[in-house]
Amino acid sequence: MSPLTPLLAARGAGRRFGQRMALEPVEVEVWDGEALALVGPNGAGKSTLLALLAGALEPSVGGVERRKGIRVGWAPQRPAQYGRLSARENLELFARLEGEADPEQAAARLLEAFDLPGEASPSGNLSVGNRQRLNLAISLLGDPEVLLLDEPTAALDPQQRRRLWDRCAVLREAGGAVVFATQNLDEIERNAERVAALREGRLVFTGTVDEYDRSETDTLFA
Amino acid sequence: MSRIALLLRKDALVLWRSPFLLGILLAYPAAIAVLVGLVASYASSKPRVALVDEDGLPPTVEIAGKRFHVDRTIDQVSKNVKLVRLSPEAADHQLRTGKVVAVVTVPPGFIATLKGMVQSPRLEVELSRGTISSRVDQQVQALVYSLNRQLQRAYIGNNLRYVTLILHGGNGSFLGRPFNVLGLERAEKVLQGMPRSPDVEQLQGFIHDARLALANTGAALRATAHPIEYVRAPTRGRTWVLSAEVQAYALGLTITFLALMLAAGSLAAERDENVIGRLARGLVGLGHLVWAKVALAAGVALVLGVAIALAFGVIIEIGGVTGGEPWHRLPLLVVGLLLAGGALGALGALLGALAREARSASLVAVLVVLPIVFLGLIPSEVVPPAGWVSAGLPFAHAVSFFSSALYDLSPWGEVLRQGLWLVGLGLVFVGLARLAARRLLA
Repeated sequence: MSPLTPLLAARGAGRRFGQRMALEPVEVEVWDGEALALVGPNGAGKSTLLALLAGALEPSVGGVERRKGIRVGWAPQRPAQYGRLSARENLELFARLEGEADPEQAAARLLEAFDLPGEASPSGNLSVGNRQRLNLAISLLGDPEVLLLDEPTAALDPQQRRRLWDRCAVLREAGGAVVFATQNLDEIERNAERVAALREGRLVFTGTVDEYDRSETDTLFA
Repeated sequence: MSRIALLLRKDALVLWRSPFLLGILLAYPAAIAVLVGLVASYASSKPRVALVDEDGLPPTVEIAGKRFHVDRTIDQVSKNVKLVRLSPEAADHQLRTGKVVAVVTVPPGFIATLKGMVQSPRLEVELSRGTISSRVDQQVQALVYSLNRQLQRAYIGNNLRYVTLILHGGNGSFLGRPFNVLGLERAEKVLQGMPRSPDVEQLQGFIHDARLALANTGAALRATAHPIEYVRAPTRGRTWVLSAEVQAYALGLTITFLALMLAAGSLAAERDENVIGRLARGLVGLGHLVWAKVALAAGVALVLGVAIALAFGVIIEIGGVTGGEPWHRLPLLVVGLLLAGGALGALGALLGALAREARSASLVAVLVVLPIVFLGLIPSEVVPPAGWVSAGLPFAHAVSFFSSALYDLSPWGEVLRQGLWLVGLGLVFVGLARLAARRLLA
């Protein structure tokens, strides 16, 4: 990996939905081993920024740069999976689409890692927590170097939260990076190094967690 | 396995796990057959025509020496219309409100003119406005034609009585006045009793020629009355239920509904399930997604279309219907089903991308399918603009393809033409759906 370029960067990337500018052009860089927390009130543009970084949305202005060969995993806020397929079938389908060499084995590994039911019942019948676990498991297919997580722990129990952050820590130790949106100050303190704060579609703060703590911006959002 | 194949497999699995939807898919062909039957029976029903009797038609009328029972005669000649006797006011009101499609008025003096045999009496016909008025006009003309035929027979019979008198001689009457005619036969006998002379021989020659000529008068009169004789051969072939047209329309209707619904609903469902973003980030392009829905629609159209064709075929074989089912044409039908299903699936994908939500997309597909089908059913000769619009939609091309593929003696030209239409329309709709699919990401 080249240390001269960020793993992932938004270069003046912004997004318009109809007449509304959901995200004004922003500059954000994600570097090796980093954990970046996105904070801001509802509708601030966090999910839009994550979707732009993931490539799920095309920016209306600017662009998104990815270091060559980098794989990105994305878990949107609302689980993104097929409700009539089981957890295993969802994982196998997305494993094939991600180009996993052994889709069945990859699905079995993640089912076990996230303690998901392996039976054939549709994932639409799973509990909210299990659906979120499946959502996160799908984002890990293809062994991504960068994880983009949109409020990932909202529906998880404490044990699953701990497992998730442990997994993120392992990824960062291996040179990867995590970008996550959250409303939880404790998660920022424990799991982030830098913070990017958004408000009404504008990036109003970027800095370390300490700088964020000292700034007045935190009182506006968190 | 390609990405399109992976999505297609997923959609097939989702479809299989939707028992209600699957039930609708299986029940739909049966419902379509019933609907087609109802439409066809309506189309062949008798239109209601008012009869306004301003002449006071008597129960019986004697014309040219023949007695006609008026009501019985009306029943005999009105095979294709339902004649109802109404007053002039009621007939006018019902014509304006559409309860009758035409008013036939028997004007005062009709029977007297008819009996006079000097002038032709007139029947006045007033038709409602609209596309079926030409058909009603034809049926009323057929009614008048039938009446004329009965009268012609009476007139010819009456005329032949006079010819018989001229031939054989005897008593007759004209306009109530009795008279006696010698007749050619008796004149010939009188001449035979006379001494032979050149004048007598000349008269005998004339009588001989006149008898020969008058012997053919009946045939000549009938031939003059009907220069061309219409002879209806005994009924052969299929009943309308099993006709080529019904089979082609049943296939076209079924796959139009299914392909539009499935493609529109399944594309919009990718957004409803929030999966569209996950797919669009490099896993599956929007174009591939649209093609997957086109393939789904084509596949389902193929399976159900073949099932319908097999069902028709089995009924035709069991019933021993003339002509039988053209089993050897089934491969050509398969091609048509795939092309039509694909083109309709592309249109469905466009609707799904525009509607964005599965429920809205399904509703839009249902709302769109009826105009598409009805536009395809309207003959372009009757309403040319409907034909132009229909040419830009796959339904009419699909029906023409199926009809030609199954029953034309030489189907290749028509099949190729309609196949190219379906491919062209499919590509246009795929392109539009690909552009519109960006809306799913918003």
